[in-house]
Amino acid sequence: MGLKVSGGVCILYEGIFWEEVLNITLLSLKVSGLATLIGALIGIPIGTFLGLRRFKGKRTIMRFVDVIMKTIVNTFMGLPPVVVGLIVYLLLTASGPLGWLGLLYTPMAMIITQLIIVIPIIIGITMSAVGSIEKSIREKALSLGATETQAALLVLREARMGVLSSIIAAFGAAISEVGGIMITGGNIRWWTRTLTTAIVIETELGNFTMALTLGAILLTIAFIINLALTIIQVKGARE
Amino acid sequence: MLKVEVKNLFKEYSGRQVLKGITFSVQKGEFFVLLGPNGSGKTTLLKILDLLEEPTSGEVWLNGEPVDYSSSKERVMLRRRIGMVFQQTVLFNMSVLDNVAYPLKVRGERNFEQKVKSVLELVQLKGFERKNALTLSGGEAQRVAIAQALVTEPELLLLDEPTANLDPKNASIVEEVISHINREKEITIIMTTHNVSQVENLADRVAILDGGRMELLGTFQEIFRSPSPNKNLAMDNIFHGVSRITNEGTSIIDIGDGMHIEAAFKRVGNVTIHVPPEDIILSKYPLISSARNTFEGTITQITDIGHIVRLRVKVMSSKDFIVQVTKRSFNEMQLNIGSKVYIAFKASSVQAN
Amino acid sequence: MYTIKHNGNMKIVSETLAVFLVLVVVIVSVFAYEWHICSQKSIIALATTTSTYDSGLLEYLMPYFQEKYGIAVHIISVGTGQAIEIARRGDVDLVLVHSTQLELEFVNSGCGVHRIGVMYNDFVIIGPANDPAGISGLKNATEAFRRIAEEGAKNNAKFISRADKSGTHMLELSIWKKLNLRPLNKTWYVEAGSGMGAVLRMANEMNAYTLTDRATWLSFKNQLTNLRVLVEDDVVLLNPYAIILVNPEKYPKRNYEGALMLAKWMISEEGQNLIASFKKWGETLFKPMARNIELAHLLGFPEQEKELAWYDMQEPWV
Repeated sequence: MGLKVSGGVCILYEGIFWEEVLNITLLSLKVSGLATLIGALIGIPIGTFLGLRRFKGKRTIMRFVDVIMKTIVNTFMGLPPVVVGLIVYLLLTASGPLGWLGLLYTPMAMIITQLIIVIPIIIGITMSAVGSIEKSIREKALSLGATETQAALLVLREARMGVLSSIIAAFGAAISEVGGIMITGGNIRWWTRTLTTAIVIETELGNFTMALTLGAILLTIAFIINLALTIIQVKGARE
Repeated sequence: MLKVEVKNLFKEYSGRQVLKGITFSVQKGEFFVLLGPNGSGKTTLLKILDLLEEPTSGEVWLNGEPVDYSSSKERVMLRRRIGMVFQQTVLFNMSVLDNVAYPLKVRGERNFEQKVKSVLELVQLKGFERKNALTLSGGEAQRVAIAQALVTEPELLLLDEPTANLDPKNASIVEEVISHINREKEITIIMTTHNVSQVENLADRVAILDGGRMELLGTFQEIFRSPSPNKNLAMDNIFHGVSRITNEGTSIIDIGDGMHIEAAFKRVGNVTIHVPPEDIILSKYPLISSARNTFEGTITQITDIGHIVRLRVKVMSSKDFIVQVTKRSFNEMQLNIGSKVYIAFKASSVQAN
Repeated sequence: MYTIKHNGNMKIVSETLAVFLVLVVVIVSVFAYEWHICSQKSIIALATTTSTYDSGLLEYLMPYFQEKYGIAVHIISVGTGQAIEIARRGDVDLVLVHSTQLELEFVNSGCGVHRIGVMYNDFVIIGPANDPAGISGLKNATEAFRRIAEEGAKNNAKFISRADKSGTHMLELSIWKKLNLRPLNKTWYVEAGSGMGAVLRMANEMNAYTLTDRATWLSFKNQLTNLRVLVEDDVVLLNPYAIILVNPEKYPKRNYEGALMLAKWMISEEGQNLIASFKKWGETLFKPMARNIELAHLLGFPEQEKELAWYDMQEPWV
C-alpha cells in the first residue's frame, strides 16, 4: 500500500511532527469550541423562547407562525455545512459585501462558518427539550404560585439536561465538520488547518502516518463527546 | 379560608363544550367532592378554579368577590392562596426538599427548612428530604405533591383524583393524610374521585358531574342511601337484576342473558348491584378459586392510567365489566384487545345500591 | 396568614441573570479578541496550485523567507482555475501558477500585474508497466497521446484526466486539441476531478495512463507500483511557473508591498538558488528560470527582461 512509515518515523523523531499535531488539535478545539459557546449563548435563549410556545394559542395565525418557525429551524438544522461554507465565503471574499472585514482565510472565518452550522442544532434540540416538558412543568409551577417568568425559568432548569446535550451534540458536529471550514479557512498550514482539513491534505499527500494520527485524535474526541452525551442521558432520564 | 361560588360556568375547547352551565358553591372549610366518569369535565373545572384556565363564560367568586381572569397579576395572587394536586404526579428534577420548598421560594420566603420538614412529616415522608424526587415510587411522589400543595398553608385545596393511580397501601396513606387535614385544619377542600368509599368517609357534600353537566348535588346520605338512577353514573360495573336468597345465606342475582352473580348479602327482588373494578381478578386461564363468581370474557378496551390499567371485558357478548390491574401485571400477562380472559370476584365484593 | 413577597421573584431572576451575564462577557471578549487578531495580522497571502504545494517546494522555501523578513506567508492551494479566481476576487496578494492561457487572461483583465517567469518543471506521461499503447521512450508527447487514444478506442488502454481546470489539465487539453481529438465521454477517458496525488493513485489502481508533473510523480513513486515514466523531455511538456501580483489599484487593501517583497525574493539570486536546491528523492524538481531570458522567451514570457528590470528597481531591496 505504500505507507510512508519510514518517512513518518524519521519526521517523528525530528519533533516537528508533534508540534504541528498540537497546533492542529488546539486550533480544532478553539474553532469548534468558540463556535459552540457563542452558538449556545445565542441558540439557547431562542430555543427556549420557541419551546415555551409563545405562539401557541387559539388564533390560527399564531399556529401558522409556529409551524413556519419550526420548519425553518428544522431546515437549518439539516443544512449541509459545505453550503454554509460557500455562502460565508461569498460574503467574506474581498469583492463581497463583508470583504472589508478582512476575515477570509482566517480562523475567525471558520468560527463564523461553524457558528452558522451550530446555532440551528442548539435551537432545535433546546426547543425540543423545553417543548416536551413545557406544558406539565409550567402548569405545575403556576399551580404552586409561580409567576409566568418564574415558571419559564423552572422549565428551562428542568430541561437542563436536554439543553446540555444540545451543546455537546453541536460541538460534536462542529469538530467533525470539514467542507465548510476548508472553503472559508483555506486550510493554511499552521494557521487554519484543523484536524479534519489536515487529514484531507495529508491523505492527499500520501502522509498516512500523519493522517492516521490526526484521525486517532479526532476519534478520541468524538468518543469523549459521545461518552458525555450518554452519561447525561442516563443520569438525567426522567421516568 | 376561601368560600367558592361557581355561577353558570361554561368552558369550550375548539368547538367542544366541556362544561355546560355549572353552578354550585362550597362553604368555608367544607369538604366538597365531585364524582363523575372520565371526560365529565372534573379536571377542567378544577383547573378553572385554580385559575390555570379561564372560563368561556360564567363566573367564579371567591370569598364574595368575582375573579378577574383577565388580570394575570390577580390570577397569580389568588393562585398563591390555593393548592392543587394533579392526578398525574409532576415533580421537579431536584431533591424532595427543593421540590417542597419551591412554592415558598417563589413567594420570596427564605427560611423554609422547618416548614418543609413539618409538612413532610404530615404526609409520612419524614427523612426523604435529600432524595431526588424522580426516584420515588408513585405513592411517595403523590405524597410529595400533596406536601407541595400544603406547605404554603393554602385557603383552598383542590385534589384531582389523588389516589386513582396509587396502589392500595399508598392510597390509604393518602386518604389518611387528607382526612387528617380535613379534621385538623380549616381548609376548604374540593376533591374529585372515582372511589365511592372516599366520598362516604370524607365528603360533607357530593356533586355528580356527567358530560359537563352537574347532575346531582347533596350529602352522601341524600344521594347514595336513597334510590335514584342517576347516581350510578359515577360507577362502573353496575347491573340490574332479580335477586333470590340461597340456602347458604347468600343471594343469587339474575342479571339477564343467563348470567348469575352471587352476592354476600340477602336481598330479594329487583336490585341494582355494582362490583368495584379493584376487586375483580383477571386471569389468562380458567381459575379454580374460592371466588364465587367466575366468567369468561374478551378484552374490548384498554385504558392506561399510569400505574393502573383499566380493561373493559365483555362477558357473554352483552355484559361489560371494568377490571383494574396494575401496569406490571398487564405487561406480564401480555394482554391485548381481543384477548380471552377469565374474571373472578368474591361474593362479598358485590355491593348493592 | 402569610404575606406575598414580590422580591422572591426578583431574586431568582437576578441570580440567573448575573451568571448568564458573566458567561456572556467572558465568551464575547474571547470572540472579540480572536476577531481582532484575525483581521489585523500582517501576512502575505499566496494562492498556488495543489500540485505546486503538494510537491513540498513552498514548505521548503517559505521558512527561509519568513526567517529573513519576519512575515508569515499563508499559502492557499487550490486548482489553477480557482487560484486565479481567488486572486481575481482580491482574496490573496499574489499567485504562483503554471497555466499560460489563464495567466494571460488574468493580466489582460487588469486584475493581475507584472507577470514574471520564476521556474519550470516538467511533465511526464506515465502509464502501466506493460505499456499497451507502446509509447515508452517517445520524445513526442503529442504522438504518445495519439497512440493512447487509438488503443483506448480498442479498449486496451485508459487515460485519467485531472478534469479540474488545473495547469496539468489545461496542458493535457491543449495536446488533445492539437490532435483535433475530443476525448470527452469516451469510455477510455476517465475524468477524475481530483488533485494530482489522487489521480496518480487512481491510475495505479486502474493501470491507466495519465499526465503528471514530475514533482508529484516523484513524491508518490513508491506507492505507484504499477506505473512507470514513459514519455519525457518534449518541449511541450515543459511547465513554466509564473508569479503575478494582484493589482493594488483594484484591491488597495491587500498587502501589495509584502507580495512585491516575496516576488522579488523568489526571483533573486538567493531565491532562485534555493529553488534549484530543492531535491526530492535525490532529484531536482524545479529549475530556475527568472534570469534565463532566452528560456523565458521560449516558454511564453516575451516581457521577461522588462519585468525583471522593473522588479529589480522596486523597493524594498531584497
